[in-house]
Amino acid sequence: MSNVITASHLTLAYDNGAKEIIKDASFSIKKGEFVFITGPSGSGKSTLLKALFGQLKPTGGNLIVGGLDLANIRQSKLQELRTHMGIIFQDYKLVNEWTVAKNVVLPLMIAGYSVDVQNTQAHRLLKHVKLAEHADKFPLELSGGEQQRVGVARALAKNPVVILADEPTGNLDDYSSNVIWDLMENACQQLETTVLVVTHKIPTIFSLPYRHFIIESKGVYEVH
Amino acid sequence: MKFIKNHLMFILPLMAILLGVEFYLVFDRTTDSYEKGLKEGYSMLVVTKKPMELSAFKALNKHISTSQKIQRENIVSEIAKGMSQSSSKEILSSLPYFYNVGLDSYLHTSALEKIKTDLEMDSNIKKVETFGSSYSSSYRLFSFIKFTLKLFIGFIAVVSLFLIIKQMEIWKYTHRERMQVMEIFGAPLILRSGVLFKAAIVDAFFATILTSVVFLYVKFQWAANSGIDIMMQNQEALFRLTDIAILLGSALLIVIISVYTVVFSNKGVQE
Ligand SMILES: Nc1ncnc2c1ncn2[C@@H]1O[C@H](COP(=O)(O)OP(=O)(O)OP(=O)(O)O)[C@@H](O)[C@H]1O
Ligand SMILES: [Mg+2]
Repeated sequence: MSNVITASHLTLAYDNGAKEIIKDASFSIKKGEFVFITGPSGSGKSTLLKALFGQLKPTGGNLIVGGLDLANIRQSKLQELRTHMGIIFQDYKLVNEWTVAKNVVLPLMIAGYSVDVQNTQAHRLLKHVKLAEHADKFPLELSGGEQQRVGVARALAKNPVVILADEPTGNLDDYSSNVIWDLMENACQQLETTVLVVTHKIPTIFSLPYRHFIIESKGVYEVH
Repeated sequence: MKFIKNHLMFILPLMAILLGVEFYLVFDRTTDSYEKGLKEGYSMLVVTKKPMELSAFKALNKHISTSQKIQRENIVSEIAKGMSQSSSKEILSSLPYFYNVGLDSYLHTSALEKIKTDLEMDSNIKKVETFGSSYSSSYRLFSFIKFTLKLFIGFIAVVSLFLIIKQMEIWKYTHRERMQVMEIFGAPLILRSGVLFKAAIVDAFFATILTSVVFLYVKFQWAANSGIDIMMQNQEALFRLTDIAILLGSALLIVIISVYTVVFSNKGVQE
């Protein structure tokens, strides 16, 4: 099995390298693996995800995702890479002037699917996250947990190769959390999707084998 | 209300540029006929020993387009009133030939001097009279007005372009959230900035229509009833149907340039 993500001596920093968040981290993740990332608040979990989808360039070392070196990647390549990623944000990042349905099918719109396909997919995806009746509402008319689920549905819309999720169940009750974990497990199991989830609490009922990384004092460590 | 204001802030500067473009087109066309009028209104006087054909004049200088022989008989008959037939014939034979020479365009004084020396090279030509100071100063005034107008239109265009880009930046700011999200999911530039393009292209059409309406009004209402000769004579040149295409083309070009300037000014959208 090939590596989807390889980090070697990776250093990530803000403010032109002045503010180091992660230093000299090395790890690799294979296709179809499910990875939990935990760590104290402010340790750099979101920062690592940002680097993985190319929003933050490494200041040192190498970061290879999908065979592409993110330190020297062309804008067009990065664009293409991102269309194979499903990203879920801690702060949802929904487009507030779009309906829920339109938000959910953004990846399909970018891929150039017809409006018909988009509409049927929107319905299917929203049913998965139990939001079918909210399709025509706007994000700000939903609760935090509901917005979170819209974000999850959007990330799953185009069967991505990699899912990067930042606290996808942070605002959800147990019932909704389990819905989300089920969806991710299914994607991982059936479509061999690689899943990286930042969370403060690894679910107690989880049927798949998984790996667990901890980010602490600028390092990324695996828990065995 | 905010929506209308937002679009007016874009349409008005765009209209300023389009009005400038159209005004320049109209000015060029109407002064073109003015130039023609001037050209027909004057000529050079050339005195020759023997009769000369137009082709002979043309061979000396290519700017010469017409030559008209002045009837000497009329001059002589005035002078020779009451003289005998033979003496009037004598006067006639001793008189040189006179030609009114027309030029093909409105030329600068130095060009006129050149024509004069060219003509005087010919041994058959006795004398050439060119036009004096009144020609030169009216030409200078004419080219000064033309230059100032160009400068003014250029200045308005630059200022308007800045205003357009400023407004576009405001739009980009209002849509930055959506553009960021789209970028994160790998949307190409054209899709991300689609909302800006759409709004700007709609406004380009509006500005073109409004500018055309202004000029159509000037052409059919104001000029027709103005009582100003040059306006009424040149009414046809004031606005032509093809101008709409020129205006729309310019508007779209400006819009595309400004959208790209703004979109590229901050490539990676960071939070
Ligand atoms: N754009 C930025 N510029 C400068 N510093 C930043 C920026 N974003 C985050 N940081 C800093 O980087 C550190 C790591 O932030 P990050 O968001 O990755 O933490 P986190 O592990 O996701 O925390 P949390 O669990 O609270 O979400 C923090 O100290 C934060 O202040
Ligand atoms: Mg975070």
